[in-house]
Amino acid sequence: MMPKTKPAYLWAWPLGLALLAALPWILPPYQLRLVTEATIFSLYAVSYNLLLGYAGLLSFGHAMFFGVGAFAAAVVINSMEGVPLFLALAMATALTTLAGLVVGLLLLRVKGTPFALLTLAFNALFYAIAVKWHTVTGGDDGLTVFPSVVNFGLLSLDPGKGPDMYYLTVLVIGLAVAFCCYFTRTAMGQSVLLIRENEERMRFLGYNTNVARLMLFIITGALAGLAGSFYAIFNSFVSLDAISIEMTTKVLLMTFIGGTASFAGPIVGAFFYTYVQDFLSDLTDNWPLIMGTLFILMVLFAPGGLSGLVKSLAARLPGAKDKGSDRDD
Amino acid sequence: MSEIAVFFLHGLAYAGLLFLVSSGLTLVFGMMNVLNFAHASFYMLGAYFALSLLHITGNFWLALIISPLLLMALGMVIERFLLRKVHVLGHVHELLLTFGIAYILHEGVKWIWGTSPQAMAVTGILADTVSLMGITYPVYRLFIFAVSVILGLLMALVLFKTRIGITVRAAVDDSAMVGALGINVPRLFMGVFAVGAALSGLAGVTAGPLLSVFPGMAESILIDAFVVIVVGGMGSLGGAVLASFIIGQLQSFGVILFPEFSLALIYMLMALVLVVKPEGLFGEKQ
Amino acid sequence: MTEQAILQIMDIRKDFSGLEVLTSVNFTVGANERFAVIGPNGAGKTTLFNVISGKFPATSGAVLFKGRDISSQSAYRRARMGMARSFQITNIFQQLSALDNVLAGVRSHQGLRYNLLRRPHHDQRLIELSEAILERIGLQDYRDVPAQELAYGQQRALELGVTLSCDPELILLDEPTAGMSRKETEDAIQMISRVTRDIACVIIEHDMNVVFTLADRISVLHYGVILACGAPDEIRCDQKVKDAYLGEDES
Repeated sequence: MMPKTKPAYLWAWPLGLALLAALPWILPPYQLRLVTEATIFSLYAVSYNLLLGYAGLLSFGHAMFFGVGAFAAAVVINSMEGVPLFLALAMATALTTLAGLVVGLLLLRVKGTPFALLTLAFNALFYAIAVKWHTVTGGDDGLTVFPSVVNFGLLSLDPGKGPDMYYLTVLVIGLAVAFCCYFTRTAMGQSVLLIRENEERMRFLGYNTNVARLMLFIITGALAGLAGSFYAIFNSFVSLDAISIEMTTKVLLMTFIGGTASFAGPIVGAFFYTYVQDFLSDLTDNWPLIMGTLFILMVLFAPGGLSGLVKSLAARLPGAKDKGSDRDD
Repeated sequence: MSEIAVFFLHGLAYAGLLFLVSSGLTLVFGMMNVLNFAHASFYMLGAYFALSLLHITGNFWLALIISPLLLMALGMVIERFLLRKVHVLGHVHELLLTFGIAYILHEGVKWIWGTSPQAMAVTGILADTVSLMGITYPVYRLFIFAVSVILGLLMALVLFKTRIGITVRAAVDDSAMVGALGINVPRLFMGVFAVGAALSGLAGVTAGPLLSVFPGMAESILIDAFVVIVVGGMGSLGGAVLASFIIGQLQSFGVILFPEFSLALIYMLMALVLVVKPEGLFGEKQ
Repeated sequence: MTEQAILQIMDIRKDFSGLEVLTSVNFTVGANERFAVIGPNGAGKTTLFNVISGKFPATSGAVLFKGRDISSQSAYRRARMGMARSFQITNIFQQLSALDNVLAGVRSHQGLRYNLLRRPHHDQRLIELSEAILERIGLQDYRDVPAQELAYGQQRALELGVTLSCDPELILLDEPTAGMSRKETEDAIQMISRVTRDIACVIIEHDMNVVFTLADRISVLHYGVILACGAPDEIRCDQKVKDAYLGEDES
């Protein structure tokens, strides 16, 4: 069970970090933007999969937290002149946490299908509020966002510049995704997994399973909110799109196309979705149809998603005996 | 006074539409334990099919009959070739599948018919107004209500007075038991699913001239239908009737009383039901 | 007796929408005592366990644990107070290793339930405590084997191990030898008597051999009421019990 340090990974770490640092010099600006966007969506999808893949909670309302985070960041930055970016992010995340608490307290009273239904209904409610609350959200016009420059002593990063935004994203979102990965091994992460496996037994072992579920719902909501904040800053703009059912659909497609069974699946899905969308939208306006069809095909024929497909292919290749066995939980 | 009557009638018309959509949703859920996210898409497709049929034939009544039949066929195909396949994978996958279908139908409709709202005109007596106890009222809204009442009664007749209806109700209670009694449960499921799709499609056709036809129409009625089955109790037809009536009236009066917050009223009702009786007014405890 | 009683069951009644399963049940279990409840199928034994462990509340009556009325406490609170139960139908974490199964209870007892920073698998003390439990139930060689791959007898042992994992003062064992062969039953009896040396234990059993070997005292539950209560020898000789239960079951 204890992870053995494999020598092969020791040199991979600095190499990977160096590659991440060098990316702005390697990639043209447009490609760098795509990487940044996909990274932001990675956190969105990973946080979603903590709910779906680890706790077995199927939510159709993840966009309400993404959207609250996006609008909150925009409002804070716009209304508080010169507010430090990290403070704005913290405030937006705190607000999303609060939203998660309120919604979670109400929705987690039911389980299974009724829960799934209600998450969608509440997402619709949040959207409707955003439409109506014109003074705060800008309604159909949306909000423009111009965050201030972040100073790290000598180094300063301007979110308005592509490479700087990239570094900020990799730093903060990267850390958040790393936290999610760490989370799956913490006492809380393991409890969530065990509750899905056998809730009754967990209760008889002294776990308040309702509290555990609520905590998870709030945490994943807050992480989605952080992703939303970055999305607003990344685009220098936030529209109703950020809190819409389409945004919920997006995270479902990403997570499911990537695969729910592994931690990396949703990240694969986020990058796949971002790149395929970029590619297809040049060819046709009806790219969502293709994406939707792909999603249905995955549900029907490859419930493990892309990462599941890769795994089963790797297992079939001769000489790849151990590949399938190093799962980490 | 007369204004109240007008809004009451408005509420009845919308309640009728809601009932046509949510009755199929709740019956399918009761029997198959699947919440069909694509159910409201059938409503939308019903309206679009009718729109095209109206263009071709120029006859609303023909559209009113053919469009639901097309949806019945579509419902059969979806149940038989998609939903049944994914059943073994469990709950989450069933929900995801219907969600995916809803997404594809939404995008497909935008592709074929475009995104802008399209008016659907009715002619003849349906376009008239009528005098009722001193108020002038459009015939068409009364027509919607009449259609839903007739179909509701028809449904009750079939469910409570015929052999097949009794089987359906038994299957809602305990599908495994009905299967053990030698009834072809998969075919029964397919039938109910298809009839549900047809009813939803019919609601779409009748809604078309009232609300116009646009891609977002599925989403807006889906949420209301969800509220109906949560408030009424999932799987309960009686609950669907009562909740449709309540939501219809809340929608209608909400718009005059709290124009900004009419939606909030409905959610407040749902939240109240969730806190006080999470299984719904007519629902059974899990 | 009352002063050192760990569990007091006082006039428990339970009906399920009109169907009365428990009419009036009374008994007291002393600290360190092995107490058995026997009775024919449908006598309400499992219902009684569900009431004691907090799966659902009694219709009336009270459950006192360590002198405190816990009748309205939820199952997880009772578990935290030191009461643990096993299940008649093996109810463990099938996909997880034997170690992870007992680790769940061990860390619950150590208060490491929802911690967001500490990783149980990296906590040497938790691992050692878990391994100690696996050793007590004889599964130390199977620590990394998924529960579903264990033999039936081993799964039953793990069921007991999970019950012991939160270091309880009282354990409720629901037919611990259900479905076991004679040999497995012998082993199970030995294991139970070993692990309950300093824990109080209430046991529901069908197998008379198990009951008369293990129990210090026995209650006979018959259609919702306690028919008799006493030492094994007293129960063996009780005419009412013979008529109601032993006569039809010991053939």
